[in-house]
Amino acid sequence: MQALLPFIALLGAAAIVRQRPRGKSNGWIAAGATALAGVIALVELLRLSPGEHVDVPYLTTFPYADLAIRLDGLSLAFATITLITAALLMLARQRVRGDRRDPWAGWLLTSAATCAVILADNLLLVYIALQLLTLAWSGALDEAAPRRRGLRLVVQVADIGLLLAAASAIQSVGTSAFSGVPSDTFGLATFVLVLLPVVVRIGALTQSWGGPREAVVFEPGIAWLAPAGYLLLRLLALMGGRLPDRPTAVALFAVGVIAALVFAGLALVARAGPRLAGLLLAAQAGLAVALSTGDQPLLTVASTWLWLNLVPLAGVASVRSHDGSTPEAFTLLGLAMVPGSLAFVGLWLGALALNARGLLLAMIPVGLVVVLSMIAALSHVIVRRPRRFDVATAWAGALALIAAFPIVATGTLVVPAAATVRLVPRGTVSVSPFGLATGVGAWPALAMSVVVGLVLGLAAWRLVGRLPLRSRATGGGRRLLSFKRARLVKPSLPAWSHVVLWGAFVAVVGAVAIRP
Amino acid sequence: MIVYLPAALFAVSVLAAYGSVGRRRQAATIGAVLAAEWSLALLVDSSLTPWAIGPIVATLLIPRHGARARSSFEGLTRRVITIVGALLVAVFLASRLPVGENPVLLSAVPWVLGALGAAWFISPIDQPERLQGQVLMVAATAAILLAAVPAGPLTAGLAGGMALVPIAGEHWRLPGRLRPGLSALLLLLAATVALLAAVVPGNVALVLFDIVLNVSSVTLLGAAILLIAGATATPIGIEWAAGLGVLTLAAAVPGLRWAALAGLIAVATTLDRRGERPAWLAVGALAMTSVLASLATPSWSARVQAVALAAGLVLMLFAARAATLRVLALPTTALAVLLVLGSVNAAGLVRVQWIAALGAVLLVARAALTWLIPDISGREVLRDGFIGGLLLLAISARDALGLGVLAAVLLLIDAAIIRIDDLPSPSSRWSRLVVLARSNWPGSITFAAATITVIAALQAGLPLGLLAALLLAALQLAPLVDHRGVASAPERPRSALRWVGPALSIGCGIAPALVLRMLQLTR
Repeated sequence: MQALLPFIALLGAAAIVRQRPRGKSNGWIAAGATALAGVIALVELLRLSPGEHVDVPYLTTFPYADLAIRLDGLSLAFATITLITAALLMLARQRVRGDRRDPWAGWLLTSAATCAVILADNLLLVYIALQLLTLAWSGALDEAAPRRRGLRLVVQVADIGLLLAAASAIQSVGTSAFSGVPSDTFGLATFVLVLLPVVVRIGALTQSWGGPREAVVFEPGIAWLAPAGYLLLRLLALMGGRLPDRPTAVALFAVGVIAALVFAGLALVARAGPRLAGLLLAAQAGLAVALSTGDQPLLTVASTWLWLNLVPLAGVASVRSHDGSTPEAFTLLGLAMVPGSLAFVGLWLGALALNARGLLLAMIPVGLVVVLSMIAALSHVIVRRPRRFDVATAWAGALALIAAFPIVATGTLVVPAAATVRLVPRGTVSVSPFGLATGVGAWPALAMSVVVGLVLGLAAWRLVGRLPLRSRATGGGRRLLSFKRARLVKPSLPAWSHVVLWGAFVAVVGAVAIRP
Repeated sequence: MIVYLPAALFAVSVLAAYGSVGRRRQAATIGAVLAAEWSLALLVDSSLTPWAIGPIVATLLIPRHGARARSSFEGLTRRVITIVGALLVAVFLASRLPVGENPVLLSAVPWVLGALGAAWFISPIDQPERLQGQVLMVAATAAILLAAVPAGPLTAGLAGGMALVPIAGEHWRLPGRLRPGLSALLLLLAATVALLAAVVPGNVALVLFDIVLNVSSVTLLGAAILLIAGATATPIGIEWAAGLGVLTLAAAVPGLRWAALAGLIAVATTLDRRGERPAWLAVGALAMTSVLASLATPSWSARVQAVALAAGLVLMLFAARAATLRVLALPTTALAVLLVLGSVNAAGLVRVQWIAALGAVLLVARAALTWLIPDISGREVLRDGFIGGLLLLAISARDALGLGVLAAVLLLIDAAIIRIDDLPSPSSRWSRLVVLARSNWPGSITFAAATITVIAALQAGLPLGLLAALLLAALQLAPLVDHRGVASAPERPRSALRWVGPALSIGCGIAPALVLRMLQLTR
């Protein structure tokens, strides 16, 4: 029953806010219920023993997609992070003045759908939940509705890759349930198919977010990034934590890093705002994909760290802040992957793991991505005196604190999730209030955060008159290929095309009949 | 010498029919029917004599004008070419499919009766001749199949009685005051039959004298679908035609089964003739499968049977784009093919899958062409093409898990019952429910059916699976082109039963496993 509690909280709150007249209290109900769901997921995670998983079946309404919930480190860690991020986004939206729209029911349903994706027990159910998620965030019950039609359709079509993977598992072993699929079920083709929904969702980050009046955008963190990260890690978990072969791992690492380089490069010419944030988030996601290819426990911990922390980072980046505000500066620092940021911790762990295997050279392009991201982000930073303390400031500050004290997230969220993906021997990562220690090196997180904070503070003090380094009004803002801009060009065919069509059909039918 | 007399009688009758009008022409037509009956008696047994009762009564019921209809040179030429062509095809088929060691001229008589009907149907001089053509086609279908697969006298009489169906379709409408009651009764029957499908184990054969009806889970579920379609979506007054569909599915004797389907086609095209010729071709191809099984030499029979089966299904899907053909004839044909497909061997199944895959591409391409060819009238709903394609793949899958059958049933419900009415006015809860019911989102029957089709097709083979996935992807994109388009529905006033379709869609979409249980594939 407790596995259903997050859904009960979210769907119950959605039902309540739909029934109630538009009002401020709806936001509190939504945020409270989502936070409650997140806390429930966290409690469940803390109750799990290391490496334990619980499958809770309920009903069989869809063949091979039993309504069953999977409670393990990976699903509960992602559910916790996602739901808490969703609650924080709702809180931030609640503080916005002047916007009388009431997005709460839609956001609650989106959170529930994401939760369903993360907690689903089999691949077919994950596919169904992904479709529900797309319906929830797009709100396009009428499929012809123009609202985000291009992106929605691309996501829907890409998800068919997951359906094919589920069908392949059903064909091979008679089920797509996570517990019933042996680690050698999926080959390279299936792996690539499952990557499709991941890639499309990462690509969605680079599209424009929300409208000009939307102060808080819900989709990037909750509907795109969290499912993408979860799907990739879940697939790796199903494959025993490693890719089909070494060439595939190398190729995927290269693709991830090159994509990250491209996104970071594009961020150099983007204007400050959601576009820049989206590109930098996509660059981080590319690095997370690259590090996910490793077959070492420490590398798995590093990629899990990156994926899990990308969700709240995407969340805080989705809160539109004023130019020069404190949360904007914090967010840009997080997106820049500077030492002392959340992402840098993951990258450092990845570098330690690769160095242990004698592959430190592979970190050179990763370092290049970091440098490009730093230039792109820091050139837009404005430093002003904090005007007020709001949710986004607290949130961004908390993320910086977690980077300084990784003990907060490592033992409770990251290691249990990584241990679900592959076996993480005890002692692979040990944490203390001062930093992380591994068998192949350490990360003095607190000291590094203090030093970097001092350096940045000093630099800001010296440069305060000249910041931002790039003008905000100009600076490129070049548009990427947008789904909105795609237009179908209708060709014109002659009237006798029917005859050709039927002629071909008759010819082939004849051939099939004659063939012995 | 006596064995040539039926052919002689037929020749004289045809010449008399073409050369006369009114009662004399009626008598000549009856002479042609009697010639076919005589032929049947000589070919098989005199117990098949009751077959002739239906076509003779039907011929008597068709009103004939005393005056000759005006004819033009072009019309006359077309009629001559049609009858000559049809007779040549009939004689060729009769020569390739002889009944025992009988002379071709004797075994050809039922075939040429069908050719005469086809010629009158294709190039009629007036409406009664067209109707007479349909009567003869239905009768000839039964006669040819009875010659190939003999049956008892009652079955033969019932099969011949199907020739009355075109007349009934033309003239017999249920009185309006009985409609609500009949619709409720049909729905009640459908619910009962669906319940039976969930509890009746295996196959049961019901025998009434020599009439044998097979009752299996697929038959019962098909009957439920047809009864619901009859109650909610057929044109006013011909709800009874659903019974023909049920008879097609349940009849054990091919002569009765395919004659009932032919009768259903005749009724379905009474009000809306769109697609009637491919529909008749489909019936011909499907009926040929039973003829081939009995009369063709084993060296080529099996492979041509498989091809005829698949081609017939493709043709029916092409024909059944709208109106009653879509509502009743399509599910009946598809389910009948599903039942027959169980006996096709592995090599034949591969042929079926080839043609199904090509047919899927053809259906989609044909629908797309209506959008791409300028100055063409009547653009078609692309989504229907994709659903038709998925249906072909689902039927041809015949996977071990039984998902293909399930997907086919769901797609048939979708095509025949759910997508055949206009959308209600927007912005109400009811309209949102209908939009969801007709969407590709989870919870709708289309989503469940398409998803299961992909899984089933992948069980059958990688190419089929990938094609199904492509069709599903295209189905997601179809609303971009179709917008809110729906296939034209039979003329019906708004009724209190309009909730049935959306409720069925959501119910089957959320819990397709219940339908799977009814199909008894999980036991």
